[in-house]
Amino acid sequence: MRFFDLLTMSVNNLKRRKLRTVLTVLGVTIGTASIVVMVSLGIGLKEMTIEQYTSYGSLTRIEVNSNYGWGTDVDEDGFITDDTIKVLEAIPHVAHVSPVLSTYVNMRQGVYTSGTRLQGVSSEMLKEIELAQGTLPDPNANTMQLVVGNMVARDFYNSKTGKGYWDTGEMPDVDLYNRSFFITFQNSGSNNGKQKKYVFPVSGLVKGNPDEYNEYSYGLFTDIEQLKTQLKRIYRKNAIPGQPTNKKGKPYNYFIYDLVYVNVDEMDHVLEVQNAITDMGFYAYSSMQWLEQAQEQTDMIQAVLGGIGAVSMFVAAISIANTMMMSIYERTKEIGVLKVLGCSLGSIRNMFLIEAGFIGFIGGIVGLILSYGVSYLVNNFLGAALIGGSGDISRIPPWLSGIAVIFAIIIGMLAGLFPAIRAMKLSPLAAIRNE
Amino acid sequence: METAAAREVVIRVKDLYKIYRMGDTKVHALDGVDFEIYRGEFCAITGPSGSGKSTLLNMLAGLEHPTKGEIVITGKHIEKLNEKQLVAFRRAHVGFIFQSYNLLATMNAIENVALPLSFKGIPKAVRLKQAKKYLTLVGLGTHMKHMPNQMSGGQQQRVGIARALASEPQIIFADEPTGNLDSKTTMEVLRLMQQIVKEQNQTLIMVTHDNNLATYADRIFKIIDGKIVHIEENHREVDLVALEHAYQTGLPSEKIDESRDV
Repeated sequence: MRFFDLLTMSVNNLKRRKLRTVLTVLGVTIGTASIVVMVSLGIGLKEMTIEQYTSYGSLTRIEVNSNYGWGTDVDEDGFITDDTIKVLEAIPHVAHVSPVLSTYVNMRQGVYTSGTRLQGVSSEMLKEIELAQGTLPDPNANTMQLVVGNMVARDFYNSKTGKGYWDTGEMPDVDLYNRSFFITFQNSGSNNGKQKKYVFPVSGLVKGNPDEYNEYSYGLFTDIEQLKTQLKRIYRKNAIPGQPTNKKGKPYNYFIYDLVYVNVDEMDHVLEVQNAITDMGFYAYSSMQWLEQAQEQTDMIQAVLGGIGAVSMFVAAISIANTMMMSIYERTKEIGVLKVLGCSLGSIRNMFLIEAGFIGFIGGIVGLILSYGVSYLVNNFLGAALIGGSGDISRIPPWLSGIAVIFAIIIGMLAGLFPAIRAMKLSPLAAIRNE
Repeated sequence: METAAAREVVIRVKDLYKIYRMGDTKVHALDGVDFEIYRGEFCAITGPSGSGKSTLLNMLAGLEHPTKGEIVITGKHIEKLNEKQLVAFRRAHVGFIFQSYNLLATMNAIENVALPLSFKGIPKAVRLKQAKKYLTLVGLGTHMKHMPNQMSGGQQQRVGIARALASEPQIIFADEPTGNLDSKTTMEVLRLMQQIVKEQNQTLIMVTHDNNLATYADRIFKIIDGKIVHIEENHREVDLVALEHAYQTGLPSEKIDESRDV
């Protein structure tokens, strides 16, 4: 028998018993919707966790700190220097390594003043900064160019009143992108004179409103090579503040980085690389290690949620099997007639499988529509109250929609398999009997 | 009889037994049956209820397995086929007319007639054309779209006949085809069957408990207690008119039967 003929017969049989079909489909609808909604909550939870960790910093990034003690014995082996960078770059799966050279600076614009950290990073690293305006610093420019964090301006306070945004609730009249501002560097230990004021061109502003935090929100960023040149120009032979000195209190003739960002090619390799770095004797930190733990937790929650959904799908499967069994008992004679007329056993089985699968299919589609509705309601009226975060807590990705419908069809057919085989084995003699 | 030998044998039954177990006792539903049926023949199997005539028909149609013996239909040993092969055999060679019509309630007349063709995988357009032809042949050209519950018993049985004919089988089995019909419709249906089968040179085997109906057949097999007790060559041309008259005037059928049974 042709598939289309089988389908027509099956669908006509379902139409014949409308109420029963609708009730069975309703069961599958609820089953599908509960699985999809539950899984979507799990996915939402998981993705929100990842998003949360991503906002703390890139998930493929490892922060490496040198392990020289604070103020105790200076151990030159623990210094992170350009040589260390080369070693780190040689670790498999490391995409690029960026040392961070940071120094504390004071800023002043009009009556407003503030202090922040000026960080020199590699040009690869600078590329990761999303800008609201402007461009990234040109590493070949004559003077050092800056990228300004989107939250820096808010921290300025009025030097006359001593009050800032946190006291008055008013944004200080500071515009770091369009108007120039003065920067003063810290005093070197041996030089107590007043530091010179510098003005550097601002090439870009980090994306985001003053209250939208990201990892580049605070601080000024520039190209590391230009910062080195600038620092050498300022401090000359004197010790640069923040750089360690040797036992005699003299500065080293090379830069020592207190922080290095190691960027890994894929999330899956982060922990592996992190372990390799730790083995080399450095302190390594990544968001990934926390995310890993958090993910185990969300995986478990997702499994529990999916399990709850699966229970109602299981009940729906039983109801399909029951409906099909009933239908076969009612149609014993008809099945016999089909057999006497030469309908092959396979066709009879398939007819019932298609009927059951069709119930699953319709239930799956309607259930999916229902899921989108429930998901919308949860996201708009419940989500924020439930977990307090921003973003959708129930997320139905396209693959989930596809799998849900296919799953519903498979469940329907599995539930219909036993009745279908039963139908196939019914005796054709039933057709001959006359009641 | 001299022509019989030259005729093609369609069904050959040899030493056929069907034994049911009812507790400790064995019931011989068929107790050693031998016969041959030729192409183009209209055979009636008669006998009282419980005589084994339905069992015989079921076995000829491959619905039941014999306990012992051979059934050879168009050269194939039916008793050796499994259920899957039997279904395929029926699909290819057999048409079936039921007592209670057994039309599918979800389908209209033309779809019911076309149903056996769909089992063969014939495309819809072709099978509807074929179904239309046979529905017209049984005189229901105007009732193609009627659902079974919109038709009288006689009309439903005509659809049943058209359905049995539509796949152009070599053999048609009819199990008490007029059992649920009134006498006038019975006559019409029987004559229709007789006429069509004759025209198409098909073999028709009809089971009935009514001896009068059997007189429409070319040969009549009488079965009592699982044995064929009598095979009668019918010369119905002579007294068909009288029979019909008798049916219509309500004469007791036994009288006609006795007069012919010598």
